Amino acid sequence: MPTFRILSFVITLFAAASAWGASAIAEHKLKIVASNYPLAYFAERLAGSWATVTLPAPADADPAYWRPDAKAVGAMQKADLILLNGADYEKWLAHVALPRLKLVDTSAGFRDRFIRFENATVHSHGPAGQHSHEGIAFTTWLDFEQAAQQAEAVAKALIARRPELKTAVLDALKALQADLAGLDSEVKRITAARPGLPLMASHPVYQYLARHYGLNLRSVHWEPGEMPPETEWTGLDKTLARHPAKTMLWEARPAAEIADRLNTRGVASAVFDPCANRPESGDFLAVMKQNVENLKMSFQRR
Amino acid sequence: MRHDFYLAWRYLRHHRTRTLILVLCLSLIAALPLGLHRVLDAGEYWMTRRAEATPLLVGARGSSVDLTLGALYFSEAGMPAIRMQEADRIAATGWADPLPIYARYRVQGQPLIGVTLDYFDFRRLAPAQGGLPAILGDCVLGADAAERLGLGPGDTLASSSGNAFDLAGTYPLKLHVTGVLAKAHSPDDHAVFVDLQTAWVIDGLGHGHSETQIPAAQADSPFGAAAVRRADAGLLSYTEITPENLGSFHFHGDPATYPISAVIALPHDARAATLLRGRYLDDKSETEIVRPLDVTHGLLQNIFRVGALFDGILLLVGAIAFLLVALVFALSLRLRQREIETIYLLGCARLAVMRLLFAEILLIALFAGAVCAAVLAAAAPYASDLARHFILS
Repeated sequence: MPTFRILSFVITLFAAASAWGASAIAEHKLKIVASNYPLAYFAERLAGSWATVTLPAPADADPAYWRPDAKAVGAMQKADLILLNGADYEKWLAHVALPRLKLVDTSAGFRDRFIRFENATVHSHGPAGQHSHEGIAFTTWLDFEQAAQQAEAVAKALIARRPELKTAVLDALKALQADLAGLDSEVKRITAARPGLPLMASHPVYQYLARHYGLNLRSVHWEPGEMPPETEWTGLDKTLARHPAKTMLWEARPAAEIADRLNTRGVASAVFDPCANRPESGDFLAVMKQNVENLKMSFQRR
Repeated sequence: MRHDFYLAWRYLRHHRTRTLILVLCLSLIAALPLGLHRVLDAGEYWMTRRAEATPLLVGARGSSVDLTLGALYFSEAGMPAIRMQEADRIAATGWADPLPIYARYRVQGQPLIGVTLDYFDFRRLAPAQGGLPAILGDCVLGADAAERLGLGPGDTLASSSGNAFDLAGTYPLKLHVTGVLAKAHSPDDHAVFVDLQTAWVIDGLGHGHSETQIPAAQADSPFGAAAVRRADAGLLSYTEITPENLGSFHFHGDPATYPISAVIALPHDARAATLLRGRYLDDKSETEIVRPLDVTHGLLQNIFRVGALFDGILLLVGAIAFLLVALVFALSLRLRQREIETIYLLGCARLAVMRLLFAEILLIALFAGAVCAAVLAAAAPYASDLARHFILS
């Protein structure tokens, strides 16, 4: 009987200590700021209820072109972790004061594989001569292998901050990477069916998608809600003559008149949403699954 | 006995000039060595506390004393610059967290220190008014710097140009004060802090300028090469960063090559500290790693050696002064021979005369002690400043 009592007491004590520990962690939730939605999604999946993940860019803005004001920077300074996409995505980074030790460049692991382009501004100052601003393609997560590496970088940063969550974070990472690997193999399967199929893109944001999955993709610079001027249509006709694409990928559903005018040229519109900001419904995985489905239909089109 | 002190007091009061001179001489003889020790103690406390809180310091190979004084106490001597890649190199080891410091400039006599925001967490510096720098061009003032410059949140101050004779050099940048730090009783109180990137703008490595001229789009657009925008050499750079022109500010070159003065390395544990120190054993390396506490102890030992010499000199001077005071007393006794005879003739014992003289000496000693204590008390608040001025500047 005394043994049973002692055992009960020890178990109660252990349970109380665990509950206290859990509540202590919950009270000190990690404050995470992510510069785009894919990273916010990864952090939410990996940290679960142990963190509060914030995406400071407004819901209607493209985080790649959003610029934080002093108030937003002040909020970021209070975070425990600031997740950056890297690859020149956060152009505002050079204009703000943030704690470097809290910054996590999630694409640093594949920096040597960034796609650089020479769409550059050339100017000069005094005797230093002319110089240019190099550009880097930044929608890194559309290569799902790279997305998995970014998720791993987020996991490492979380574990470094909260070593006690290591097991939970690694389990979550395994599940997340499995989901991303599923998307990766599905896109590879789709594109392998018709390698070199000509495709058009409405915006130059699919560089990593094109490289990793071997898409024969050429881009214009159109907005889904703005009818392109006649010169653009003339240019498109010239391009289609050399590059007979039957599908144009869009970041969002294009205006009906644009889609109709494309249809007259035998080009269908398909949405492949990079999902840089939080979607109105669903999550990153759901949006990407829909993207893959749309891509599949494009490849099935004859 | 009470009467002896009364008579002695009346006598001293009657000869007030002589008494005043004696009191001042004795009090200063006592106050000087005590004051010197106060300054040395303050210097030791001030320097040791700062050095203890800074585990490792990386800077240009050369004088470790200059490096420590420059990076920890923002001395005016200056430090040779190293490259930002040194901080990246430390971070890449995974053994320590780097805190880069750029302490090249001064603004209106105060050190202008470029740091990352981690520095404020590390030194536990929090704003008493306003906030920390948020945007390029913002600065936060140490408590004493704010008082000395008479500035607060919302005010502006211009950074000093690097070299007044460099016509092609950088223009002063108008800094926006976002806050004033709470008093930390450390060299941080005297500094003006900016973000490292703002320091590089002051250095001329980053700049903003008005819109560039855009030539007509090329014929092979819209899918070929983008229009090349050119800017002429007479482009006017902004000297104030505002929300309107912030977007035009940019940096040239690889940030890893940008200059910094030193890196505070915060090792994760003792093993990491040892491993990191091992990385800097190569004598041919352009950088070195030092333990500020070791450097400070070495420096303090030299200072205390000088202090001991001062003590010896002051002891000698004190002994001479004491002998002179004794001589003054002896001579005054000869001058007072008739007065002493009169006291004796009035019926006082020889011992009473001795008691009177003893009371006079005691009163003078008491007054001198009081003046000495008052001088030391008045100088005490300045001990840290004096230590900073004489030991660190």
